[in-house]
Amino acid sequence: MTIARVFIANRGEIAVRIIRAAKSLGIETVIGVSSADTSTLGARLADRCIVLGPPEAAKSYLNEKLIVQGALATGCDALHPGYGFLSERSALASLCEEHGIAFVGPRPETIEALGDKLSARRIAEASSVPLVPGSEALASVDEACAAAESIGFPVVIKATAGGGGRGMFLAEDSATVRNLFSKASEEARSAFGNGELYIERFVRNARHVEVQVFGDGQGKVIHFGERDCSVQRRYQKLIEEAPCVVMPDTLRRQLHAAAVKLTSDLHYRNAGTVEFLYDVDRGEFYFIEVNARIQVEHPVSELIARRDIVAMQLELAGGKPLDLQQDDIVLQGHALECRINAEDADNNFQPSPGRIGTWAVPDGDFIRLDTFCESGALVSPYYDNMIAKLIVYGRDRQEAIDRMLFALERLRIEGIRTNIALQKYIVGHPDFTGNGISTRWLEQTGLPDYLNTLEE
Amino acid sequence: MKDDTGNDIKTLIDMFDESDWKELSLQIEGLKIFLSRDTDNAVPGWLEHGQTASGISTQQNERPLATGQHAMHAQQQEAAASDPAPEQTPVPEGAVVITAPNLGIFYRAPKPGAPPYVNIGDAVDADTEICLIEVMKLFTPVPAGLKGVVLEICVADGEMIEFGQPLLYLQPEK
Repeated sequence: MTIARVFIANRGEIAVRIIRAAKSLGIETVIGVSSADTSTLGARLADRCIVLGPPEAAKSYLNEKLIVQGALATGCDALHPGYGFLSERSALASLCEEHGIAFVGPRPETIEALGDKLSARRIAEASSVPLVPGSEALASVDEACAAAESIGFPVVIKATAGGGGRGMFLAEDSATVRNLFSKASEEARSAFGNGELYIERFVRNARHVEVQVFGDGQGKVIHFGERDCSVQRRYQKLIEEAPCVVMPDTLRRQLHAAAVKLTSDLHYRNAGTVEFLYDVDRGEFYFIEVNARIQVEHPVSELIARRDIVAMQLELAGGKPLDLQQDDIVLQGHALECRINAEDADNNFQPSPGRIGTWAVPDGDFIRLDTFCESGALVSPYYDNMIAKLIVYGRDRQEAIDRMLFALERLRIEGIRTNIALQKYIVGHPDFTGNGISTRWLEQTGLPDYLNTLEE
Repeated sequence: MKDDTGNDIKTLIDMFDESDWKELSLQIEGLKIFLSRDTDNAVPGWLEHGQTASGISTQQNERPLATGQHAMHAQQQEAAASDPAPEQTPVPEGAVVITAPNLGIFYRAPKPGAPPYVNIGDAVDADTEICLIEVMKLFTPVPAGLKGVVLEICVADGEMIEFGQPLLYLQPEK
């Protein structure tokens, strides 16, 4: 079986990305949108657009029943969830399965097992993948303090149901753990509907590295190398690159092997990402989590591997066997991605929705812009503020950096505030070009430096 | 209706009789015709589910349906790209449009074979149920939301509706 018509249960740039991949394979596309998104690029590019519900995501993009009803009523035989929204809710994958719609992603039980952080840790442990020293779920504040003492400070308090940095708190000592425990639990309950917490060692000089994997669902998994996503603010990635140049080759091979082992043991199906914390000082890596979906930053891996991962996703979901071997994936050169967000970086990152006036984008052989925006488009206040991903390729990291600076210089967006100036500043910063940053560099050094330049 | 419509219909029925067609369904402005040889089970798309047409059925005095092509069974065989934009009759002056609260399948009656919730000309209160919307086997009745008289029902039974799509025109009570 091949897919004849795919339902896109998402919006924004990833919807456009999926539609383009589907079209390249001759697959018809139906997109389900909220009433706020009916004139977006994705809605126009799709062969058909249906309106699921009102702008509030809970009544449109987050309602799996509406989505599967829409997919069935429009005769779709597959559904791509994109990232965010329902992409990692096993309920959507299950509902698709029940109704004979091929879910473009992992099996529901895989999503379920990886979605819970404690269960994901057990899975990693079973595959002998190293973990950050940490606790089980904590029943009380006393238990939390005892766990923190035995792990060693500093520690992070985290929500078992959490993700994306929400519900996470740093504690340097027992007194702080005691102070933050109930607040963290409260926040976890309101954000994820579950107040359960656990504690982990905090790595000072950490880089975020992750391995792009692709499994056939029967135990075969190939990888597309690693990405370094250490430029983050409040645990949200801002710049991603591939490969992670600072990692020694021996460690890199171990990293890839760990990601492949874990996902292969799970008989992981379709695209996924295994995230690790790279402890630069100790020369070790620890498992963080598996993102059981396509990720925002997949293009940097696509560029260095010269493969269309989204097209591969659709082909596998349509029953095409994964005939690629690991040796077929030849990683070459360096790719960088800057997330362009509709936010005022100069003003405490205030969201900046509104109508885009000027939209001038750079052009070039090694420049790729993944976006759903254009001149005249409205950046909706209802959703995520990422409006584009600027991606460049170079033979090495320095060439990629030069091209990114060139491209950022020529990206002009008016009518709304964006983080373009900040991105330009980061990519040109000696700490970034010298590759000496950690996941906390932006908040501790990069941003203060940037704000200083504004005052001068 | 133009004067020669009656003759046209007769011609159409004669053609149908001579053909080996099982069914014929025709909708043009101000006129809908459904012809079938199946006297037991044939139902045109625009009738209530369960309501049987008896051999030859003609309906007039009803405007074309808002989204006559969207019925689920038909849609599945249709290329997504070829789906035409729904036609919409102008909203009569002073009328209020009741729109769909979410995507789903529209039903005019509480269950197959039951009389429809409302018909054209019926008086409704704010809490009068006007239709049923199915989302994944979950059936939710939709209240009229205001007091008035039903002027038009814009959707055919069993059709997929989208959020915000007009379901009914109501003449609100002054």
